[in-house]
Amino acid sequence: MRWSASLFPAGLLGTAALFTLFAQPPHADVRAAAGPVTFNQQIAPILYNHCSSCHHPGGPGPFSLLSYSDAKRWGTTIRTVTQSRYMPPWLPEPGFGNFADSRRLSAEDLMLIKSWVDAGMPEGETTEAPKPPVFSVDWQLGPPDLILRVASPMQVPASGTDLFHNFILPVPITQTKYIRAMEIKPGAPRVVHHANILIDRTASLRRHHRDDWQQGIPGMELSVDSGESFDPDSHFLFWKPDSPALIEPGGMPWRLDPGNDLILNMHLKPTGKPETVQATVGLYFADKPATAHPMLLQLEHDAALDIPAGEAAFVIEDHLKLPIDVDVLGIYPHAHYLGKELEGYAILPNGEKKWLILIRDWDIDRQSVYRFQSPVFLPKNSVISMRYTYDNSKANIRNPNNPPIRVRAGNRSVDEMGHLWLQVLPHALPNSNQDPRLALEQSWMQNILRKNPDDHTALYNLASVYMINHDYTPAATLYSRALTSMPDDVRTITALGTALDGEGNWQQALAEYQKALTIDPEDADARYDVAHLEFKHGSYADAEQEYRHLLAKDPKDVSAHNELGGILAATNRPTEAQHEFETAIALAPGNFDALYNLAGIETDNNHLARAAELLQQALKQRDDADAHQLLGNVYTQSARLDDAVQQFKAVQLLRPRDPVAHRQLAQLYAQMGQLRDAISEQNAVLALDPTNADDWNNLGVLHARNGDVTSARRDFEHALTLNPQHAAARANLARL
Amino acid sequence: MSIESIMRHSSLKPWALACVLSIMLVGYAQDTATVYGYDLNGQAVTRLSTPGAEAIVLFFIASDCPISNRYLPEMQRIENKFAALHVAFWFVYPNVGETSEAVRQHEAAYGAEGHILLDPHHKLVAITHAKVTPESAVLVPEHAGAETLRTVYHGRIDDRYIEIGRERPAATQRDLERAIVDVLQHRFVQPPDGPAVGCGIIGQP
Repeated sequence: MRWSASLFPAGLLGTAALFTLFAQPPHADVRAAAGPVTFNQQIAPILYNHCSSCHHPGGPGPFSLLSYSDAKRWGTTIRTVTQSRYMPPWLPEPGFGNFADSRRLSAEDLMLIKSWVDAGMPEGETTEAPKPPVFSVDWQLGPPDLILRVASPMQVPASGTDLFHNFILPVPITQTKYIRAMEIKPGAPRVVHHANILIDRTASLRRHHRDDWQQGIPGMELSVDSGESFDPDSHFLFWKPDSPALIEPGGMPWRLDPGNDLILNMHLKPTGKPETVQATVGLYFADKPATAHPMLLQLEHDAALDIPAGEAAFVIEDHLKLPIDVDVLGIYPHAHYLGKELEGYAILPNGEKKWLILIRDWDIDRQSVYRFQSPVFLPKNSVISMRYTYDNSKANIRNPNNPPIRVRAGNRSVDEMGHLWLQVLPHALPNSNQDPRLALEQSWMQNILRKNPDDHTALYNLASVYMINHDYTPAATLYSRALTSMPDDVRTITALGTALDGEGNWQQALAEYQKALTIDPEDADARYDVAHLEFKHGSYADAEQEYRHLLAKDPKDVSAHNELGGILAATNRPTEAQHEFETAIALAPGNFDALYNLAGIETDNNHLARAAELLQQALKQRDDADAHQLLGNVYTQSARLDDAVQQFKAVQLLRPRDPVAHRQLAQLYAQMGQLRDAISEQNAVLALDPTNADDWNNLGVLHARNGDVTSARRDFEHALTLNPQHAAARANLARL
Repeated sequence: MSIESIMRHSSLKPWALACVLSIMLVGYAQDTATVYGYDLNGQAVTRLSTPGAEAIVLFFIASDCPISNRYLPEMQRIENKFAALHVAFWFVYPNVGETSEAVRQHEAAYGAEGHILLDPHHKLVAITHAKVTPESAVLVPEHAGAETLRTVYHGRIDDRYIEIGRERPAATQRDLERAIVDVLQHRFVQPPDGPAVGCGIIGQP
């Protein structure tokens, strides 16, 4: 089963906020001084704080604004573009969402600039001149941990319409990395209007463009294959000229796995002369994985986009009811050239309307991701709405069609789009260990299906949510519906097979996998699933044959090596099994399954130190209860009892309702002579599962060893009530 | 040199009226050459016309103005289209402070070729009333063979820019091109239908 998702722009997080929207700028007192407005006293601080981050030598702005002579040269233009609020680029209407990094100039700043230019742009006393900011041509955060460079430079012609291009950046890592910050150097900053980075978890775009991927792929948006696990996009990885480095909040790095590609989607604007663009991306690694997992949600109604020629106020809407509490961290509205007024808001369960964003005059050239100054809490059952108005009349000077024509949704700049992306941090579900993002995914996909009941991707993804929840029957129904529109889609057929297997109908599952292989005999997933099913049902020889077939086609198939190793171990060929696991680890040193499986073999071989080392390595990849449990056992066998206790406690945290770890801890404490702790753990076992006679017998033994004969007697008697044939309990009772 | 204003009586939009008011006669005195500007070697340019030219087109540009730069390919297209039709073209750098060296580098970067003229004293700016870069003007001989020139058009090249930051994906009306055709076909030259948009021309401090 693979997960399918539609692209998007991952995210932005600006760097340091300049000023808060309603806060007083730091130089407000200085400005209030009487006397003429001068560059040194009032204007330089405005320019340095709001303009120079782009307007500096080598920067993305077309000219520098770091000195009096610069400001004087461009003074009349500055007056014009600030009065019209074209500059600094900032689209959101104030008072309709509080955003960090607001670039909007205050009314006072506008008045000062106008007064200064009208008065002939006096310089003022040089002794009052603030120091201009310094901009480094190097990486803003120091040398990155990993630098990726676009393989093939792109030539942007001197003139013509804007270009949208997707560059593929393979990521040469052998272990999972967590990215705390990223900086994009576009190569020719004045050509690049903005850029988005998308994580292609399965390198699908590169696979589909085997021969020409190094040149990149044109297009405004694209879709990639999200892979087999539920792994929704989580971050806005958005770059615009004034965002030199995207620094993620603490605890929220984004993940890159071996085999992932980054897709750099760039909006390029001809400058009048031919330009060469070859971007580099610098990545900064975090020490630890994320502790908070945001998710990107999308509202859209592209299917409703059918805008008659000449229509000046065409409206689309979408509404998404939240199934759980969330904090909204950021927002990214998106339309093409006909977008005019873009509204995003939430209606809370109490009926209150909470604005998220309002843009009255949309301009794709100045689009951005906006990060809220502080998270916006939206309780469960809030309804998030988008309402976009489009102007397809001749009066819309950005209209790409002259004369206007009927416009529908599409990927070209002459088509339209209506998307509102939100980055939300879901609150944990009460009394549940379920990933709360699954609830959001379910509501999101159901919302898509309300608009378009045949949407293949939504049907597939919604089915996959049911699969994760082990709710196989509705999953199978949804996969079947998805196949109505695409009956030969091998991936969906294979997923249907997995759902049927989950229902217990493994013969029909096998039939689906084989049907998939009939359509595409080379489909590795379907063959893998056939092999896995055969393995699961004891057809080891058949399964082994399939895995060897897969490995003959692709000797680097880590999962096949691992599964083959499992068959060899199950059929008493541990040496061969060990070889397969070691091969898998050599190919993917961070492969959790291979590390865990090899640790099992090493434990059986009594190579306990090696087993412990492998499990420690595995746990760096994934905080997994089974691995903690096995490591606890290894430590117990190695007489490292304190270390073992820590491992079993880790299991308890991951599986709080599972009595096994409590049981193991009780035994361990008993072995260590800590009888009170042992009794406490054994009581915890019985609180979770009071029906097991063995557990009552064991509690009785612990009480007896602790000298509490009364309790021990009661425990043994309880064990015998549950199971009158329990010989050990009877013998223990007799010994009291 | 004689400069003389010509008034026409027609009903035009207010800004177009301003344009018409600025139509002037420029020309050469019989005995004193007018210096219109300087070439990249610092030599005075006293003659804009070439033998047989029916029109002279001036492009006011700047080495550091992004809108002007973005228009250079369009200016070159217009030049290529009309150069063989007895139209002379000049790229005029009017900003005080432009140097020959900077202009050479600019021309090399943008691949522009043709007659280049620096106008540090704003002679042509005054004649044509240019305000921004990019902007254009069309001058014609007062009569066949005359050295006296008339400004029959000045203003925007086309309607791609409505104001700074408001830009069409492509021009829908090519005002300058229409003016050149009007001249070549000896028709009344229509003024532009909107203001020129760009960077203000820099004068003396």
